[in-house]
Amino acid sequence: MDVIISTLAVFWLFLAIFFILIKRGLWIFSDVSKSLSMFMLEKALGPAIDFVSGRPGSATTAWIIHGFVWTFAASTFTFVGLWLTHDPTALHSFGSWGYNPKSSELIYAGRLTALFGAIGMTVIGTSLHALPKLSGTNLASESNATLVSLLWTLSVLLMFIGSQNSVILGITILPVANLLLSLASIAIAINMVITVSEATKDIPFPGWLILFAVIGNIAAILAVFVSGAYDEGTGQWLLFHLSGGTFFFCGLAGVSLYSASVGSGNPLWSKSLVAFTLFGALVTINPMGSTDSSMVTDLFSLPSSELDATSRDVISGSFLMALAAMPIIAFSANMLVTLRGSDAFVENPDAPGIAELNLGSWMLVPVAIGALFVQTDALGGVNELTGISQSLDLMAIWLVMIPLSLGAALSILPRASGRHQLSENRSRWAYWMMTGGAFLGLLITMMSDFTDMALTESMAEQGASINDELRKVGSVMFYGTVVGAIFHCTNSISGQFRGRLVQSVNTSSTSSISVESYTLTSTTTIRKILASGATLDTEVSPSGQTEEEGSATEL
Amino acid sequence: MSADVPSSVDVFIQGEKEPASSGIVLVLGLVTMLSFLVLYSILFPGRDMPVVSEVLPMFEGVFDSGIWFFLLGVIFGAFSIIATMLAEATSE
Repeated sequence: MDVIISTLAVFWLFLAIFFILIKRGLWIFSDVSKSLSMFMLEKALGPAIDFVSGRPGSATTAWIIHGFVWTFAASTFTFVGLWLTHDPTALHSFGSWGYNPKSSELIYAGRLTALFGAIGMTVIGTSLHALPKLSGTNLASESNATLVSLLWTLSVLLMFIGSQNSVILGITILPVANLLLSLASIAIAINMVITVSEATKDIPFPGWLILFAVIGNIAAILAVFVSGAYDEGTGQWLLFHLSGGTFFFCGLAGVSLYSASVGSGNPLWSKSLVAFTLFGALVTINPMGSTDSSMVTDLFSLPSSELDATSRDVISGSFLMALAAMPIIAFSANMLVTLRGSDAFVENPDAPGIAELNLGSWMLVPVAIGALFVQTDALGGVNELTGISQSLDLMAIWLVMIPLSLGAALSILPRASGRHQLSENRSRWAYWMMTGGAFLGLLITMMSDFTDMALTESMAEQGASINDELRKVGSVMFYGTVVGAIFHCTNSISGQFRGRLVQSVNTSSTSSISVESYTLTSTTTIRKILASGATLDTEVSPSGQTEEEGSATEL
Repeated sequence: MSADVPSSVDVFIQGEKEPASSGIVLVLGLVTMLSFLVLYSILFPGRDMPVVSEVLPMFEGVFDSGIWFFLLGVIFGAFSIIATMLAEATSE
């Protein structure tokens, strides 16, 4: 049976229904459903809703700060997981407490907390700011969105616990965590749909990307269960990649494109490319992510099935993954040109977040191409490149998704909370620590993976000692990511209390000469205005003049 | 016959700044302590240190991997994040 195409057909049908419902509403029931939804979001929660602030921007701030803390946690779990690959008994002393950490379990915990904690929370946090701005309205329920951040954090915490100890007191932890996460997702989706229903202008494409990120994920889950593909290896693999293509890719693309424009001050380069990114993300299969879809079986408590695709599934899956290169390249190019504007240099390079957005956009294409080869190899059952799947998955997380989500969050957070990060310098240090740590650490780990694969192929009886050394260097390098995450956390938290106010005059300037305003009395060239010391932020005010002769003022 | 005592004696006064020499006193105390510990091992060779020798075995096998140096950094970082949250929220 052709699992991929039949499941995708249901997925596209659900998306079409969702789109029509959002555009047309529920006929005469629209007002009733809207009031009922608002009641469910606020009053129905009782006293719990009074515990959180409904101040504008509070939801975004809460989600982003939670996301930063999870970034620190995720980097720590991944670092320890990478270390234990070459030194499995390093933490054996924990055994006296009944805890025996394993490399695979900690890397799994790192992936879960990075995807749902760090990336998920920062993407939703920035979306809660960007979507109302793009719609020309306010968020429907700021209080509910703030409260739901606690529920989401609780679910990520349970994911970490479940990754280390799957069953506690007879309860399987990961499905419970997924249930809480789904509840939070539905609340956020309803909040966003009501916000969009109050739009005062046409929503630009980045807004649709954000909307389809939340709704697409729900549609993907429904499609796989409705089509009955959930108990097949191919269906589970497809759900893993549809969630990656909707929630993660569409969400990251939406908030990154918005932040690139807002952060750099440049207009979005191409509207058509954003439309293409949205369309392409929904009709193709995103290849990024691990070849092992056990995350799906664990979260949904499904029987684990081997990925055994039919020849038709291999052809359609490979073709749709190859097609995903187009929206990926379109998104990357749009980001890079928007950040640069009309010249070759990135605008506002010192602003926190811009460097991260630039890095994520650069790394997206090579990582996606690498993932395409690995996924095609796994789907076809060849499994020659499975050895580098984990390193490539970590690269996609730490060199593409985390930089893009972190960059967008760093750009948006001051606009939502009203205060900048405490120190631009510390933010830049954090960027270099995270980038250097993730890039060098994972590259060296991947070199070790290749050596392992070569040794396995040659059927060597003993492993090479250089392999352990490489893994050791790789994990030590990755420690930079942990330090960078700590810097980002302390810098952003302190910034909320003591950071420079956003309304204050921007003291940083590209030049020591700064002209606040320039009065234009006659026609002139832009070169002459810039030569007089004006900057791109100088306000030019034309002053009217007449050629008539002057005369005495009549009293 | 009683001496006149100024009223200011009843008020507790504490300087705002720390004198530079107070650090020297602390270092002197530390060096003296270490000297006595060395003296103990000279005077009673082969004898375990009281209390300390009973506590240290509890940590046997804990710091036998280089990962612990990094984990100490992680613990320091985690506490710095918590401390930043508490200090910023409660400072005036």
